Amino acid sequence: MINLKNILNKNFLSFFVFLILLSSCSSMNITEESVYDGGIQTVEASVKEDTSVNYETKAILANATVYFEFDSFKLSSKSIQTLRSAVTAMKENSSIKIIISGHADERGTREYNLALGQRRAESVKDYFVLNGINASRISVKSFGEEKLLSDGIDEASHSKNRRAEIN
Amino acid sequence: MKIFLSLLFFSQLIFSELVLEITKGSEDPYSIALIEFSGSKKITNEINSIINADLMRTGEFKIFRESQLLSTPTNEEDIKFEDFKLLGIDFIITGSLINEDKFNVSASYQVFNVQKETKIRTSKVFGIPNKLRQLAHYISDGIYEEITGLKGVASTKLLYVTENINDDKTIFKLVVADSDGSNEQILLKSSEPIISPSWSPDSKQVAYVSFETGMAKVFIQTIATGKREMVLENSSQISSPSWSPNGKFLSITLYQDGNAEIYILNLKNQNLTRLTNHYAIDTESSWSPNGSKIMFTSGRSGSPQLYEINLRKFSSKPKRITFEGNYNAKGSYLSSGEGIVFVHRAKNNFQIALKYTNESFIRPLTNSKLDESPSISPNGNVIIYAMTENNMSMLAGVTLSGAKFRLPARTGEVREPSWSGFLR
Repeated sequence: MINLKNILNKNFLSFFVFLILLSSCSSMNITEESVYDGGIQTVEASVKEDTSVNYETKAILANATVYFEFDSFKLSSKSIQTLRSAVTAMKENSSIKIIISGHADERGTREYNLALGQRRAESVKDYFVLNGINASRISVKSFGEEKLLSDGIDEASHSKNRRAEIN
Repeated sequence: MKIFLSLLFFSQLIFSELVLEITKGSEDPYSIALIEFSGSKKITNEINSIINADLMRTGEFKIFRESQLLSTPTNEEDIKFEDFKLLGIDFIITGSLINEDKFNVSASYQVFNVQKETKIRTSKVFGIPNKLRQLAHYISDGIYEEITGLKGVASTKLLYVTENINDDKTIFKLVVADSDGSNEQILLKSSEPIISPSWSPDSKQVAYVSFETGMAKVFIQTIATGKREMVLENSSQISSPSWSPNGKFLSITLYQDGNAEIYILNLKNQNLTRLTNHYAIDTESSWSPNGSKIMFTSGRSGSPQLYEINLRKFSSKPKRITFEGNYNAKGSYLSSGEGIVFVHRAKNNFQIALKYTNESFIRPLTNSKLDESPSISPNGNVIIYAMTENNMSMLAGVTLSGAKFRLPARTGEVREPSWSGFLR
C-alpha cells in the first residue's frame, strides 16, 4: 500500500516536471510573415441618361408630390386630393405614362427606407389603379433616403423628404 | 477622470490624423511597455505611432511609452524586469527595423512576459517600402494576438461609401481603407447613389447596390481587377446583398412581387429560392456565422423588428427576436454566435445596440442621435458604425469591452462601413 502511494507520488512529480518543461518549451512563439498587398482597380460607373423624363407628362402633372408620416405608407386626405386631380389629368391625357418614385427621410436604416419608399410608391400606384387607370401606364421605383429634398434634421425637413413624386 | 484626461491629451498629441476617444477601455487592461523601434527615425517614427494607435484602438491595453518608464532597454540583455514590475507592467515590446533599403523594409519584434521574466514571442515581418502602414499593422496584430489570444484586426480593411459635392455635382464613391481609416482607395465612382456594400467571405470581392441604371441594382465587383457584374438582370429593383459564410450564396431583397421579399441566389447556377412571403416589408438579411440561420428586418408586427429564420428546418417560420421599442433593424450576428448587433431607436435617437441570445434585454452601445450601419470586426470584438455630429459625418467604433474611438472626420458624407475578413 505504502509502496503504491510512493509510486503514484513519484509519477505525479515527474508529470509536473514534464508539464513545466512542456510549458516552457511552448511559451516562446517564433513567427515570420510577409505583408500581403492585393491591388485595387478603380472603376467609374457609366450612369444611364435619364430618358424617362417626359416633358409633356411633367407639364400635365405639374410635379405632383404626396407626403407621408414616419414609417408609414398610408395616403393622407391631403394626398388623396392631390391624387384625385392627377387621376383626372391621366384620364384626359390617355397617352401619358407615369413613374412614381418613393422616398424616405434619413432616419432609420437605408435598406428599410428603400423598401418603405417602394411601399409609398405602390400605395400611390394602387390609388391610380383603383380609380380606373391601367396599371401598364404606371411604373414605380424607390430611392429610399438617397435623394433627400431637405438636408435639415428637424421634423419640417423630415416631412418634406417622406414623399412620392409622380412624373 | 484624471487618467481619462491624460489619455485623451496624450493620444491627441501624438496622432494628428486619428481622433482617439478612449472613453472607457477594458475594465482590466493589459499594461504594456512599448519601447520605440530602433532604426532610421524617419521610418520608425511612423511605425511607432501606428502601432501605438492600433493597440490603443483595441481598448485592451494601458500603454506606457518611453517617458513613463524607469528604463528603456534596446536589447534583450538590457531588460531589468524589476523596473517594469514596479510600474505594474505585464508585457514589454521591443523591436527594430532590419534590411532598410530601396526595395526592402522589414522589422523584428519581441514580446516579454514581465512576471515570468521570459521572452514569449519573437517575430519577423517582411514589408514593402511604400506600404509602411501595413508593416506596422502586421506588427500590431502579432502583439495583440500574443497577449490576448485573439486575432488582431489592425491589418484588415474597411469598405464604405462617401458622398461629396463638387461644382454642384454629387459624387458617390465606394472606398476601401485600412482599419484605421487611412490609405483610402476608390473602388467605384458614380454620380448616382451607392448603398449596402459588403465583402465576400474571402475578401476578394464586394457586393453593393448602385442606382446607376436609374433604379437599385446589385453588383458584384472583384477588387483586384475591377471586373463587375450585375446580379440577376430583371426589370425590378434589387437590393440588400449579403454573402453566405461559404461564399456560394447571396441573399438579396427582390421587389418583383411589388413588395420587398428576401430570396437566396445560388451564385453558381443563378437559382433563386424564396425565403419570405409576407405583405409587410422584409429586407436587410444577414447570415449566421455557420450559415444555418438568416436574420432580417420585417415590418410584419407594425414596426421594423428583427426576425430569424432557420434554414436547416423544412418550411420553418420566421421567429421574432427583438421586442424592445418600435424600431430594431439591420441586424448582424456576432462571430461567436452569442448575440446580435443592430440599429435600435430609443426615443428619437437611433443607436447601435447589442443583444446576447441568453439575455432578455438589449445593451445600447452608442448614444448619439443618428448612429447607423453597424458592422462587426472579423475577430468579433469591435463594431464600426456611421455617426453624424455637427453636420460632420464620420466612422466610429466601439469594442465589446466598451472602448470607443473615431476615425478621421470629414466634410461630406461617409457611411455604411463594412469590415473585411482577416487578410493577414
